[in-house]
Amino acid sequence: MSTCAECKAFFAIPENADDFELSKGDCVREEKDQKGKYWLSKPVMGDMVADKCSYFMKKVAN
Amino acid sequence: MPITERTKRLKARCRWKHTSAGEFVDETVRTGIERARLITESHKNTVGEPRVIRRARGLANILNNITIIIQEDELVVGDHIEHPEAIPLYPELSYFVTLDLVQSKYCPDEVKEEAMEICNYWEPYTLQRKGEAYYTEDELERAYQFSTVEGPAFVTGFNSIVPPYETVLEDGLQKRIELIQAKLDDALAQLREFPWDASKNLPLLEKINNWRAMIITDEAVIAWARRHARLARIIAENFETDQNRKKELMEISDICNRMPAEPAKGLRDAMQSKWFVFLVAHGLERYASGYAQLEDKLLYPYYKTSVIEKSFQPMTRDEAQELVECERLKVSEHGSCKDRGHREAFPGSNDLFILTLGGIKTDGSDACNDMTDIILDAALSIRTTEPSIAFRWHPKGRMETKKRVFDCIAAGLGYPSIKHEDVNYSQLLKWGATPEQARDWLLVLCMSPGVAGRRATQKCRTEGGGSLFVAKCFEIALYNGFDPTFSNTQQGPETGNAEDFDTFEKLWEAFAKQIQYGVSLAVKGKDIARTIEQHYLQIPFVSSIDDGCVETGKDASGLVELPNPWHNIILNTTASDSLVAMKKLIYDDKKYTMKELITALQANWQGYEDMRRDFLNVTKWGNDDPYADEITVKFYDMLADEFAKVTMYSGVAPMPLGQSVGHYITVGSKIGATPNGRLHGEAADDGGCSPYMGADKKGPTAVLKSVSKINHRKFKGMLLNQRLSAEQMRSEKGFDIWLDYMDTWYDLDLDHVQFNVASTKELMAAQEEPEKYPDLIVRVAGFSARFVDLSRYAQDTIIARTEQSFGVAQ
Repeated sequence: MSTCAECKAFFAIPENADDFELSKGDCVREEKDQKGKYWLSKPVMGDMVADKCSYFMKKVAN
Repeated sequence: MPITERTKRLKARCRWKHTSAGEFVDETVRTGIERARLITESHKNTVGEPRVIRRARGLANILNNITIIIQEDELVVGDHIEHPEAIPLYPELSYFVTLDLVQSKYCPDEVKEEAMEICNYWEPYTLQRKGEAYYTEDELERAYQFSTVEGPAFVTGFNSIVPPYETVLEDGLQKRIELIQAKLDDALAQLREFPWDASKNLPLLEKINNWRAMIITDEAVIAWARRHARLARIIAENFETDQNRKKELMEISDICNRMPAEPAKGLRDAMQSKWFVFLVAHGLERYASGYAQLEDKLLYPYYKTSVIEKSFQPMTRDEAQELVECERLKVSEHGSCKDRGHREAFPGSNDLFILTLGGIKTDGSDACNDMTDIILDAALSIRTTEPSIAFRWHPKGRMETKKRVFDCIAAGLGYPSIKHEDVNYSQLLKWGATPEQARDWLLVLCMSPGVAGRRATQKCRTEGGGSLFVAKCFEIALYNGFDPTFSNTQQGPETGNAEDFDTFEKLWEAFAKQIQYGVSLAVKGKDIARTIEQHYLQIPFVSSIDDGCVETGKDASGLVELPNPWHNIILNTTASDSLVAMKKLIYDDKKYTMKELITALQANWQGYEDMRRDFLNVTKWGNDDPYADEITVKFYDMLADEFAKVTMYSGVAPMPLGQSVGHYITVGSKIGATPNGRLHGEAADDGGCSPYMGADKKGPTAVLKSVSKINHRKFKGMLLNQRLSAEQMRSEKGFDIWLDYMDTWYDLDLDHVQFNVASTKELMAAQEEPEKYPDLIVRVAGFSARFVDLSRYAQDTIIARTEQSFGVAQ
């Protein structure tokens, strides 16, 4: 089972942020269409199951 | 040409959201679901809490969870929807509007079912269903026809607002929270005092809820802005490879961390903070049209810091212009979610985005500054239809700025529209504005002045706005209040049939009664909607940034510090020219009987061509003709008198405001054949006191002379469209000729004028080969549009306007 926290698009919210919650992160996706490139960010919980997410890409360990 | 490569790219890929004939021109536009989903989720989770707190938590839930966006190249970031191609839904407003959008092609299949569930969930809670409860079925039938009056605010959901940007730029939201918290602490302390005093203490309960709601929303707005800060940093650190762009993104991140939480310090701060406030006030908390702000005055202190002193966010003048170009493109991309009737009413336009420049300061000196010039330069260089600009004209205005105003007009942008400084300033004094407040006047939407500043700005369209379609009221006055040509229903009181009016005075009396019924029906709808708004559709964020709301603990939707009452009168000249023709041929000359006229009108003049020509040839408004002008001036006086009989929510009578929006096309076509010689289905007059298309044959000065016979100070505004010779305007002497014209216009004490400068040849060529004229802009009404985006019908109404030449009577 994959979770959002394991995804390359997951960026944990820093502790000093207004919307900090344990395991909460920003799901950031780069998109491109005929009019150009843009980035979308949506809050997600790191422990959410990501198996059905078509954007899931496993984070590569450093 | 856009001033930089960046703005060239941004314009080339701009995600335009304008509509034509009620449909979005760009086929990729679609409805978003997140705002609707999140406000619904919150509504379900907050049952039992005070209503204003539920509204605040609804907004907070949206801001905390909605997908945010940053696009490539952007300098001003943020949106009010989850995807750059989307428009939001407001299911809490109008059931009909939401249903229409959900069932339309704009709602993607994958969310249609959920959207329908949301729409149905909200139905009993909507402004619409609550408002309908106070109407009879007959009244609703009349009001929903959109033919004598605009649909009530509770069914269209159409709204407008003037956010007090000044408080946010000067204070920052953190300070606003401190101010509100202090009020809250004082109130709670007072509740603990004894002996108990109910008269003092009980009113505090509602205020406490309002203050708490304000804090919830301000905190949520700060957190939402900082999500943008995080995103910009993440893009810079993880996605972007270009070093310059990385640097820009880090600066954007810094700005969004501080804005709008803190006071703005530089021009980039101010622009971003203003944009965030715009998004929340106009697109997230509730839908509201408009882009009302005194932008040059608002931004000048930050321009001075960044461009002149270079002490914070240093930049060149060109960089400042680039920033304004970016802002104009953001506005062009901002998708609003209007009802179909209002989408049709603004052909070629996205929404009524209008900012105001120029004027006089409180010390009597010219208010124009370098920021005024930059905004005008950016409008000319980026060449977008939106936001439109209104310019406060007065004799002291500096010449280099007036030249820029001229350059925009001569280039064919259709804006700035020009408003008379003193007429508009004086008007606000009537409603209790101090001279200082009145000097800060701006246009609330297309035409009406209201105050700008830290308090007392207009917060809802139920105060001012809405439309009465005068020509339809006139038409039903001929048929005992019945509408035989569009709705086939009784649209007004029974005031007799035209054949019964053996004197002109009887006709006049019936018409005045229909006007009174229409005004009352329309204002009743606004007042009912407003009463509901303050109980169910509070706007705590907007309240939090208004000094008056914070001081009094009242919600902005209900508080009236300064009334700003108006209601639009639309399709006026069709009615007044008809009255003139009837007076002449039926009552004075007795060439035709009323029965003959009604028979011809019912036949749409078919088979009565000679008769039609006679009616068409009767002298018309706009030619300085005493006969036509005397009747027309009385007609306007009658309208003002009928409005003066009504008392509205804010305790005063609404003033009539003459304009047309695009209703002259859509509603105009709902009016049967009229005695001015017009055929059923043809457009009506294009606005305010403008002469009927092609009827002004004696040159621009004759138009001004006619129009000046109306006392413009009796009206909240009075639109005058003029189409000027492109050849003359673009000639070497164009500016001087136009300045002379403007001097005359000012001296005649007229409220407004706006210009189309495009030759018939050019317009017709654009009809033939639209792909060659992507940037040909025309003035439709209180807004401009790209000519090629208009329907052929609308295009023809622009071409039909008289192209006036100076010094030569045509």
